[in-house]
Amino acid sequence: MHSHDQRPPAYRSASGIELKASYGPEDVPAEHARVMGVAPGQPPFHRGGFPQGYRTKPWRIFQLSGFGKPEDENERIKFLLRNGETGFLMEHDRNTADHLYNVDHPDVVARKEDVGLTGAVMQSVRETELCLADLPIESTFGHAGGAVVQHAPFALAAYWTVAKRRGIPLAQLFGTGQSDFFLTYLGCVTKQQVPTAPGLRLNADIIEFCSEHLPKWVPVSIAGYNGGDTGLNAWQELGAVMANAIEYLDEVKRRGRMDMTVAAQRVGGVNFRTTMEIFEDAAKLRAARKMWHKLLTERYGVTDERALRMRIHIVTSGAYMQYQQPFNNIVRGTLMALTAVLGGTQSLGVSGYDEAISIPSEHAHQMSVRIQQILEHETNIPAVTDPLGGSYYVESLTAELERRAWEFVDQLLAQGGFLATLDSGWLHARARENQESQAIAEARGERKIVGVNCFKEDITPWEVDGFPPVTDAYPVALERLNAVRRERHETAATAALRELAATCRDPDRNIMPVMMQAVDAEVTIGEIGDIFRQAWGDWHTPKLV
Amino acid sequence: MSSASNESTSATSSPAATDGAPRRILLAKTALDGHWRGISVVARALRDGGFQVILGGMSTGTEIVRAAIDEDVDLVGLNVGGHVEVAERIIGELRAARADLPIFAGGIIAPWAARRLQALGVEVFPPGSQLDEIVSCARRLTGTEPASVSVSG
Repeated sequence: MHSHDQRPPAYRSASGIELKASYGPEDVPAEHARVMGVAPGQPPFHRGGFPQGYRTKPWRIFQLSGFGKPEDENERIKFLLRNGETGFLMEHDRNTADHLYNVDHPDVVARKEDVGLTGAVMQSVRETELCLADLPIESTFGHAGGAVVQHAPFALAAYWTVAKRRGIPLAQLFGTGQSDFFLTYLGCVTKQQVPTAPGLRLNADIIEFCSEHLPKWVPVSIAGYNGGDTGLNAWQELGAVMANAIEYLDEVKRRGRMDMTVAAQRVGGVNFRTTMEIFEDAAKLRAARKMWHKLLTERYGVTDERALRMRIHIVTSGAYMQYQQPFNNIVRGTLMALTAVLGGTQSLGVSGYDEAISIPSEHAHQMSVRIQQILEHETNIPAVTDPLGGSYYVESLTAELERRAWEFVDQLLAQGGFLATLDSGWLHARARENQESQAIAEARGERKIVGVNCFKEDITPWEVDGFPPVTDAYPVALERLNAVRRERHETAATAALRELAATCRDPDRNIMPVMMQAVDAEVTIGEIGDIFRQAWGDWHTPKLV
Repeated sequence: MSSASNESTSATSSPAATDGAPRRILLAKTALDGHWRGISVVARALRDGGFQVILGGMSTGTEIVRAAIDEDVDLVGLNVGGHVEVAERIIGELRAARADLPIFAGGIIAPWAARRLQALGVEVFPPGSQLDEIVSCARRLTGTEPASVSVSG
């Protein structure tokens, strides 16, 4: 069929590393062989940050969840916690939160049925309160949402304001808000958002504010996942994450207000994805920890070991979940979760088996939790730390991924850094190349996906029809928006907005204290968005397609 | 980096049109959802299949109708990233403006939602659809289908 193609079939990892039929000691480069026998809990930490691993601290079961009205999201989070989730994530409505629009923005009204489809609508702190109703935020690791950089200051301030109103000291809170450049500047590009430079300022403000007021909070969480699922391969994902961390740490260092040891700890909670590429992805997590140690010691002179341990959150790849024969995805989710655990993740979310069809149904969500519980309690894997350590194959992959990832970091730095490659579209082009080569390999059947391009016969008696959307998210949100406008203390809200605008114009002031005041005065996200847009304009989106 | 990125998905046939001019397809996103991986791969396959692809981005129904008319396209592809009702409304607006204009759709479209679009005569390509099937469908809908093609070349 492909007579023009005479190349012998090569065995390669997903990222293109050529694979031998078996591995021996000669395949581990000297630099890496030197640290191969270092115990877990010892630098450079590729074998894990802690000697006892999962014996002393199981990974956190942490599932993305949310849709509809804040009450719907609250109910789903409680369902997951009841089922054994050990941290919770809030997902915000993409139309309103990601764009900082209220529901009456013309671009939202034009597609009002979409509102609430993939996250709950939270336009003011009142709605955040509804979403967090009865949730034990004083004792549970919570993700406030705010995955999107421009949305994070509001999402975090709203979560923290709810805590304050409940009388919980901010210093007691632990959680995260992500605030990730990979998401809306690379993978899921919003129609409108602040340019990357003010985005960096917002993140640095959050890092500084947390170090002062919320020492247990993970202020930002770089999400390589979003780069990986957009197309970046394993070493590109690794390299881009490191280059992103350099942006944050350089900015904090430039400001000169924070100790770099503290800054390193704050930025050291990072997210990657795992896919069906089991050994390469497990090796990726090992390489990530080793690279983190090297970056901080060599570039920033950090010596405190507590700050040199990268903590990892894994989300299993959504892009590897298939629409056809969706129950096969339970197997895929299990294998990708296994990969994360073999790689020593601290926290894990497993994509629902209906990922390619809709947001997760209750059953799909429950299965994602059960997969993790079965791995934790039935396999005995948690008994031994870094079970892959010493495998010539895995150590060779770890070293090779690290080598390629540092090269990629150099390529990014040579172009002005991670953010500059987002601005120029260079990183998008790398993702696009891989998207295309993967699509070609699938079309040719060189990359087999069971039930999709081979073994297509399906006798499943049950249809997975997708989780039905909530139908009243838009009208309820509109009613609530109007109620806030009617009932809030208008003088306080106006004053807070004016102060916010002034703070945006002054790069030496931290935006978060003012954001806290604004949120407490029941300012809405649309108003915050208007101020950001006036202050900073719109990101010039590079060519994507 | 995979060397496959330099290879082409070009079909064995010549460009789609039978009258010389390439057929024009508008690809637009119905939702404020900026995931672009799917539409990027589909746009590439359609271009390699000989079509001229016009990208509408995240568009409202009004914007899609205007672009379809201004660009004088032969086919509209809707990337449905949100609720099917939004797509249904856009299909209604497109048909009110140009009843003869064929429409197909792709994206995260649940089976129940796909059935609703199919009932409106819209072909649906959910995740996992093969690119050569999408290109063949575009050829059929624009009346430019050659005898037998394959994007895997």
